[in-house]
Amino acid sequence: MPFVSDRMRVIRSSFVMSIHDTFTTVRPSIWIIQLIVPSLFAMFFFSMMATWAGADPEFVIIGNAVQSIGITTIYAVAGIPGTQKHIGTMTSLAVTPSSLFSIFFGMSIFGIIAGFMSIAVSLTAAAFIFGVNMASINLFSAVIVIVLTAFSVGGISMTISSVGIYLRTSAIIANIAAYIGLVLCGVNFPVSDLPGWAQTIAHCHPLTYAVEATRGAVNGNGIMDMASTWSDPIPMMIILGIIFIIVSLLTFGFFEKLSRNSSKMDTF
Amino acid sequence: MNIKAVSWSFKHQALQFIADPQWIIPSIIAPFLFTVVALYMYGDVDGPVVLTAVLGGGVLGMWGNTLFTSGYSVSYDRYNGTIEPIMLTPTHLIDVIAGRCIWNTFIGLLNAGLVFIAAQVVFRVGVNVLDPLPFFLMLAMTLLALASIGLMFAALYVLTRASFVIMTIMEFPIYVFSGALFPVSSLGSLAPISYFLAPTWGVDAMKIAGIAGYESMTSFGILFDVGMMIFLMLLYVAAGMLLFRTIERNIRESGTLVRY
Repeated sequence: MPFVSDRMRVIRSSFVMSIHDTFTTVRPSIWIIQLIVPSLFAMFFFSMMATWAGADPEFVIIGNAVQSIGITTIYAVAGIPGTQKHIGTMTSLAVTPSSLFSIFFGMSIFGIIAGFMSIAVSLTAAAFIFGVNMASINLFSAVIVIVLTAFSVGGISMTISSVGIYLRTSAIIANIAAYIGLVLCGVNFPVSDLPGWAQTIAHCHPLTYAVEATRGAVNGNGIMDMASTWSDPIPMMIILGIIFIIVSLLTFGFFEKLSRNSSKMDTF
Repeated sequence: MNIKAVSWSFKHQALQFIADPQWIIPSIIAPFLFTVVALYMYGDVDGPVVLTAVLGGGVLGMWGNTLFTSGYSVSYDRYNGTIEPIMLTPTHLIDVIAGRCIWNTFIGLLNAGLVFIAAQVVFRVGVNVLDPLPFFLMLAMTLLALASIGLMFAALYVLTRASFVIMTIMEFPIYVFSGALFPVSSLGSLAPISYFLAPTWGVDAMKIAGIAGYESMTSFGILFDVGMMIFLMLLYVAAGMLLFRTIERNIRESGTLVRY
């Protein structure tokens, strides 16, 4: 299986390089602050809004703890092509025998891990700083849900990232995708409050199921309780994660070809 | 301050924006979505509260734009290799950055306008301003207050190559402490932090002028808010000038300006 092992080697070295790149520019302490502070402020901000509006702050705090992955993973992963264009390495990467998908997938792993850490830290903060009652939390379910959230949101992030190969920037789409969860995915108010068309979009976004499953795990639900039918959150996160990874594989190929043909790879 | 340099920097930033206007979109998305969330959350309450949500969303839009575009403008100089030539000119860097900040904040008005329009069109919220003239005057002053904070932070963007980290960290504190989407009084023991922010006084003054029956942060009225805003703005500009001078000297001595 030389093809698979070559691909794995590219993914691994891209992953290692992305960690080096990150910590060459930003000190680890600052990186950790950047990971934690915006999520804590977002949780605080929306819980204050909920309190003032007479809504349940705990509902909002847990929702925003999960939404923190939007900023860390989606934004970090989707921004990778833009960064490569800016520092002038995009064409160099494109002329290597490795596929851009493998390179960018390797670079994305760190963003996906960061997303996992962001939710874990935010949920811990929800309990210890914001006083959310976690007495009945099913810890095993919570860990599985966070892993699946990072996986499924990683898939959607890779799809957005592929667009950045062709467009001048993927920042606009990344911004929309990173923050849209606040409105569509039941983070701050139930999905059922939305109009029908918006609910349909919400049910195609893995974050909707991640928020629902996290609230379930906090209330003590086991994994099997949230996976009794295909439309339950756990199977839906797995299905959407796989679909988005496959879609990203296809879109990477498509946009890479389009970008080569139109000589737009270095445009930013 | 070199007014000629500030005005040319303003024009230059305007030309850059016209060349690539898409950059307004990323900075408006978050505040716009926050307003939508607020409108959903406050859905069952009466008109003035909904108006607060729309006004607050507008202010958040202005801040988002000021913070991100000011930060990126310094980062791009670093990326594009133009920061060294700027430093070599006889003009002080703060004058160049000040012109850019004023343009960016001015464009933030567009953000605020878009939030108002979207609220009217999508949510059919009637935005009826109580006293339009003082309201728009306060809006303009709040813009300047935000620009003065942007100017102060711009000094840090010159110092560090990780300006995006500062931008990400600084986005929410202003949202939280400005009282834009919920009253400062609801912050409890953290409320005093808000009093050190010029935009807090600007938001309060805007709400006094715009919303009927609004209970101000203090009982001293709109003029007190204006006074506090001007005092804090001057303080920020002075701090910004001091920071710029110190940082400029340090980076010249250490030769670390173009590192990224």
